[in-house]
Amino acid sequence: MSEFRIATRDELWSRGVLFERRLSHGMAEDRGAEIVASNAPERSLVDACDALMESMRPVVARFTDARVRAVATVREIASHVIAEATMTVAMRGLSIVTTPQDALEDVAMLRALAAQAPAVDRPLLPIVWLNGSAAVLLHEAAGHAAEHDAAPVDWPSWLSVEDDPPFDVDDAGAPAERRDLLRQRPSCLRRASFRDVPLPRMTRVVARQHDAPFELPDARIEVHLAAGGAYEPLSDEVTVDVAVAYVVEGARSSRLQPFTYRASRAAVARSLAGAEGDAIRYPGVVCSREGQELVVGSHAPLILTR
Amino acid sequence: MSETYRKRGQTVRFEHGRLIQIAEAGEAVEAGELFTAAPIVAQALEPIDETAVLATARAIESLIAPPVAIERLVVLQGVAEHDCDGIVWREELRRIHLSLQCGSLRALIDLGEFEIDSIATIARSLARAGATREAPKRVRLAQNVSAALLPSLINMIPIDQTAAPHDGKGQPVREQRLVKEPWPNWYRPTYRLRPVRMPFHLRAVPTVDTINDDVPRAVALLAPVDRRSVKVLCIDGEEVYPTVLTVDRVSAVAADAKWYPYAAGSFGAEMLL
Repeated sequence: MSEFRIATRDELWSRGVLFERRLSHGMAEDRGAEIVASNAPERSLVDACDALMESMRPVVARFTDARVRAVATVREIASHVIAEATMTVAMRGLSIVTTPQDALEDVAMLRALAAQAPAVDRPLLPIVWLNGSAAVLLHEAAGHAAEHDAAPVDWPSWLSVEDDPPFDVDDAGAPAERRDLLRQRPSCLRRASFRDVPLPRMTRVVARQHDAPFELPDARIEVHLAAGGAYEPLSDEVTVDVAVAYVVEGARSSRLQPFTYRASRAAVARSLAGAEGDAIRYPGVVCSREGQELVVGSHAPLILTR
Repeated sequence: MSETYRKRGQTVRFEHGRLIQIAEAGEAVEAGELFTAAPIVAQALEPIDETAVLATARAIESLIAPPVAIERLVVLQGVAEHDCDGIVWREELRRIHLSLQCGSLRALIDLGEFEIDSIATIARSLARAGATREAPKRVRLAQNVSAALLPSLINMIPIDQTAAPHDGKGQPVREQRLVKEPWPNWYRPTYRLRPVRMPFHLRAVPTVDTINDDVPRAVALLAPVDRRSVKVLCIDGEEVYPTVLTVDRVSAVAADAKWYPYAAGSFGAEMLL
């Protein structure tokens, strides 16, 4: 039998005005085939949550031109206490998921991207996934497929995609272990709240390249920000909704209308033509599965797909 | 102006092969533009006997055989006591949310009661499904299909809101023709979310007693409704196939209707397109 305790505080701010404030707390006892859950008070976790939220408010207050959802969560499993602070920042139809530590840098990028209006439709050109945005593609094509135990496909030998948990135990009290998402399911069971069944979910996706080929095409699409993505296990199809991208031809660059990248998982694997550099932190993925929304860390090098 | 809503509830849910018992109570306050929600200490409601939930889940599992498989099954029973600024009411609910897969097809089933006959029919049909075809010229929608479509058909055909004792703010839901927003009543599926205006218990105005036309019959949703377009499983004589219907005209609506848990409730009646 294991016990899971959680407290979550979230606040929604729009242009500096507080619109919503929520507290949630409770515990779940896993008794094999049965889970008994209640919103029993968890004072120490609530206090820790409140302190975390208090530390986020000065950061939130700086974004008076955006809509900000700040979420502070503190979980306790098998005597391990895990605290998470995340902020979803939206402006002009674009959004990012960030942390208080990275928020200033990420929101500056968001402002810059939001300042320019989309102009042209997507041409058929190779895609360069910048800013770690390839992590979204690989979250869907490798991570969700691994969660569903999908059949293997032929990934490039230079690519590795790992689930690298940023905590020691999962939400069922088991050790959180690093897993190769190109060949294994994630080890961690996670749950969004005390009401939820723990499911095998990604924690932090880290894609790396090892001596990958790379040649920057003269004419290309450069992806900066994704709005979302999906993996359909029945058709093995991957989609990524690209929110901000540019078509680049030599020294010329034009902002593209948002578009959807759609391909089978095998086609995604075949399209991976090269990569360069270390894994870059992408500002966030809120991953929804069966109604449970969880933040998943996302890191990838610059990747080229053709 | 401030409004305070409190809810305490008990649910038993079967999901991923496990039984989850949840006791919870909370309070939501709307004061001007600010919405706040938090748990409260309250005496728990009486526990729910899980027998019916487990029996229903096991019965559904026993109905499904290869090549059809259960992709996701949620069976839920709950009881809740609501108090909105002194108006107190109680409700009990039962739900089944099921997705069945067969090859590359997925059938979506959402029921507001533990009656599983329709699941067997859909599973048998799904097992016989062939390749996707063009939509037939005329088609009869089963109750479960039309119920999911109803919210998209407001203003296309006459649709009434059906009377009920309470909305999410404790106010009566009055029977009336649905014409345009703002809808008169408030939907509040949980105390944790700000209530939103929504039409309740939609019911298409019947035009005939029964529909007997011998035309292909759409028996199951194969994807969520996308505005007035929906992918369905169609039975045409001995043949079963997926097709995509775009609803631009409804020729007839039958009188007999059954409630389904779409949006804030929807009474599905057979429809002829």
